Amino acid sequence: MPSTCAGCGPSIQYRMTSKASGDNTILVGPTGCMYVANSSYLCTPYNVPWAHTQIGSAGSFTAGVAAAYEAMIRKGKWKGAFPNIICEAGDGSASDIGLGSISGALYRDHDCLIICYDNEQYANTGIQASSRTPYGGMTTFSPPGPMVPEAKKLFPKELARMMAAGHPHCYVATATVGYPIDLMNKVRKGLNHKGAAFLMIYTPCQKGFVYETPRSIDLGRLVVECGLYPIWEWNPQTREYDYSFRPQHMRPVSEYLKLQGRFGHLHADHIATLQKFANAQWRMMDVEVPEALVRATNPETIADMASAEAAAAVAHTV
Amino acid sequence: MATATMARKTVRINGCVAAAQAAKYADVDVITAYPIRPYTATMMALAQMVANGELDAEYIVADSEHSQLSIAHGASSSGARVFTGSSGVGVQFGYELYSPISGSRMPVQMMIADRTLDPPGDFGSEHTDALSTRDMGWLMGWSCDAQEAFDNHLLAYRIGEDARVLLPQMVCQDGFFVSHITTDVALPDSGQVKEFLPPYKHPYPLDPRHPVSHGPQIMPEQGPPLQLERARAMEGATTVIEEAHDDFARIFGRRYDPWIEEFMTDGAEVVFFMQGGHAVTARHAIRHLRERGAKVGLVRLRTIRPYPTDRVMDSLSRFKAVGVVETNMGLGSVSSGGSLYAEACAALYESDTRPLVLSFMAGMGGEAIVLKEFYWMTNKLLEAQKRGKIEKRTHWVGFEE
Ligand SMILES: Cc1ncc(C[n+]2csc(CCOP(=O)(O)OP(=O)(O)O)c2C)c(N)n1
Ligand code: SF4
Ligand SMILES: [Mg+2]
Repeated sequence: MPSTCAGCGPSIQYRMTSKASGDNTILVGPTGCMYVANSSYLCTPYNVPWAHTQIGSAGSFTAGVAAAYEAMIRKGKWKGAFPNIICEAGDGSASDIGLGSISGALYRDHDCLIICYDNEQYANTGIQASSRTPYGGMTTFSPPGPMVPEAKKLFPKELARMMAAGHPHCYVATATVGYPIDLMNKVRKGLNHKGAAFLMIYTPCQKGFVYETPRSIDLGRLVVECGLYPIWEWNPQTREYDYSFRPQHMRPVSEYLKLQGRFGHLHADHIATLQKFANAQWRMMDVEVPEALVRATNPETIADMASAEAAAAVAHTV
Repeated sequence: MATATMARKTVRINGCVAAAQAAKYADVDVITAYPIRPYTATMMALAQMVANGELDAEYIVADSEHSQLSIAHGASSSGARVFTGSSGVGVQFGYELYSPISGSRMPVQMMIADRTLDPPGDFGSEHTDALSTRDMGWLMGWSCDAQEAFDNHLLAYRIGEDARVLLPQMVCQDGFFVSHITTDVALPDSGQVKEFLPPYKHPYPLDPRHPVSHGPQIMPEQGPPLQLERARAMEGATTVIEEAHDDFARIFGRRYDPWIEEFMTDGAEVVFFMQGGHAVTARHAIRHLRERGAKVGLVRLRTIRPYPTDRVMDSLSRFKAVGVVETNMGLGSVSSGGSLYAEACAALYESDTRPLVLSFMAGMGGEAIVLKEFYWMTNKLLEAQKRGKIEKRTHWVGFEE
C-alpha cells in the first residue's frame, strides 16, 4: 500500500508522469522513497509492470529492459509495440550513486526515459544531503552550527546540464510539479524521442523541507519564480538550450526560503548569496534582472531568517 | 537465425572462446561486457560473432561491472536470455547485484574466468573472486577444461531457467589454466542444442500486457517465507541438475557426474579434494604416483552450489586422509587457510568414518601447482595416514620442507 507522506511531491510527480505515459509502460524504481514508501509486498500501487532496482542501478537496469525489448522484438520473441520504459530515480540515485549508470544508459542511447525526481536530498534514509541539496539547506548530514552557520556550504550539482552537455543526442529538460501540463508534455516528448531522454523534476518533500503540507504545488512554482530552478529544454537536433519558459512573476528568493524550515537558520548574508545565485541563473537564461532583485543581493536590506533556537527545533523534526 | 545452420564439428579453442561458443549456441538475446582480463577474451569473441552476424544479440558495453550485472538483471526480468561475465576484482565490483538477482529469481548467466583479487591482482586463477559470492543464491561450479566449460554453460542455462529452479548461474573456469589453454572442443549441431535447451520463458516477466511488480518492499514478517523459498529453490535444483545431466549425456554423448568426479579412487587411501583446472595436473601426478605404489586418488567437486553434502560425505569417508587443495583465500577462517576445508569438514561431520583432513594452500596468487607440489602434498597425506593424526591443519605449499 502506498504510504508516502501527505503532499509528497515525488508522488504527485509520479502520478502526472504515469498519466502521460499510459498503459504500454514499464517502470523502474531504484531504492528511494518512491520505492520504499510506494511499494509493499502482496499489494502494489502500479497498474503497469514495475521493478525495483538498486539505488546505483537506475540507468543500468533500465538499459537492460530496453535492450531486452530491442532484441526480443527484432528476433520475433515478443510481439507488440516497443513499451515506454521509464526510470524514476531520486536525486541521490541520479546525482550521486547511480550517476555513472545513468550516464552509461544515456550515452548508449537506449530508448528510455530516465527521470530524476529531485527532492534535493536523500529523503528515505531520514533526510541527508545529496549533491542536489541547495546551498543553505539543512539536512541531518548538513546541520547548521557555530562552525557552519549556513548548513550546506556547496551549491547543487548541475545534474541536468551535465546530462545535456555530456549526451547531446539525448532529450534533456527540467520541470517542476508546479507546472503539471509542462511536466506531462515533457514526459511525452521524452518518450517520443527515439533514444534516451532525461528529465529532472523538482518535487518538494515536506518531511525534509519542513513546510505546510498543502503548499507542495506552490513551492513548485515559487522555486521557479525565485530563479532557483531554471526551467529549460535541451534540443538534441539543434543542440541548443531553449529558455523560453517564463514564470508569471519574478520574486526574491526570500519568498521561497521563508516557507521552509530547512532554511530557517539562514542569516542575511546567506540569503544574499542565494539571491546572487538566482540572479546569475536569470541572466544565464537571458532574462533581465529587475532592480529590486539586484538590491536584494545586499545583506543590509535583508533580515535574518529566524533565531538559532527556531532552527534547532526544526532540526529535531527531520 | 544464424544459429540454425551450425553443424557438429571439433574445433581447437580455449576456455574463453568455448564459453562464447556456448552463449552463441544458446542464442542469447542480451550480452553485457566490461573489460577485465582474463575473461575479456570471451566478450571479444562474442563481439566478433555479433559483428559478423553469426549471433543476433544486443551487445552492451557497460560502464562498470555493477552496471553489467544490473543490465543483465533488467534484461532477464524482461524475458531475455542474458549472458555476462567477469574476473577478479570485477566480480566484486558487481557484488551488490548477486543477491537481488537470485532474490528476484532471474536466471542470469555469468561466466567467470578466475583472477586473483588485488593484491596482487595478477592474471592467475585464485578462486577467491567467485567463491566470495558463493552464498548469494547462484548455482556455481568449476570446469576443468574448455570442453567441460562449453558443456557447463549449456547445462547451466537449462538448469537455471527451469521453472522449478529459476536461479542465476556462475559458470566458473580457472583464469589462464582453462581460459587461455587451447584444446579440442566438440561443438554440437544446433538441433541437439534445440532439443536440450528450450527457449527461456520466465513466468512473470515485465510485460505491459500482464503487469506485475518485482521486488516490492516487504514487512519484516514477510521476509522469512521469501528467504525460505529462495533456499528451497537452491535445494530443489538438485533433481533438476541430475535430470539435465542425464539428458545431456543422452543428447550430446558426454556423461558427467553432476557433483563430483572421482579419478583413480579405487583402492586409494588418500585423496585430493579440489575444484577446477589444477585437477588436470593432479590427474597426471596421481598416475605417476600410482606407478610408484602410492595409493592416491582425486575427488573433484564439479558443483559447489548447491553443495552436494551427502555425496561429499559418502565419497570422502571412504579414505584415510583427504587433502583439500584450496586455491582460494579464507583469511582468518576456521583452518586459517581457504574456504573449501570448512565445508568439506562440515559435510564429513556426520560420517562414522571421518578421514583426516588437511588444507593445502596451493596455486595462491594464481601460481601453477606443479607436479612436484602434488608429490609433496601426497607425502604429507601419507605421513598423516601413517601417524593416524595430522601434524598441522594447514600447509602453505612451497613454504615448508
Ligand atoms: C547501495 C545502497 N546504499 C545506501 C542505501 C540506503 N538508501 C536507501 S533509500 C536512500 C535514499 C535515496 O535518496 P534519493 O535517491 O534521493 O531518493 P529519495 O529517498 O529522496 O526519494 C538510501 C541512501 C541503499 N539502499 N543502497
Ligand atoms: S519523505 Fe518526502 S519524498 Fe519521502 S514520502 Fe515523505 S514527502 Fe515523499
Ligand atoms: Mg531524493
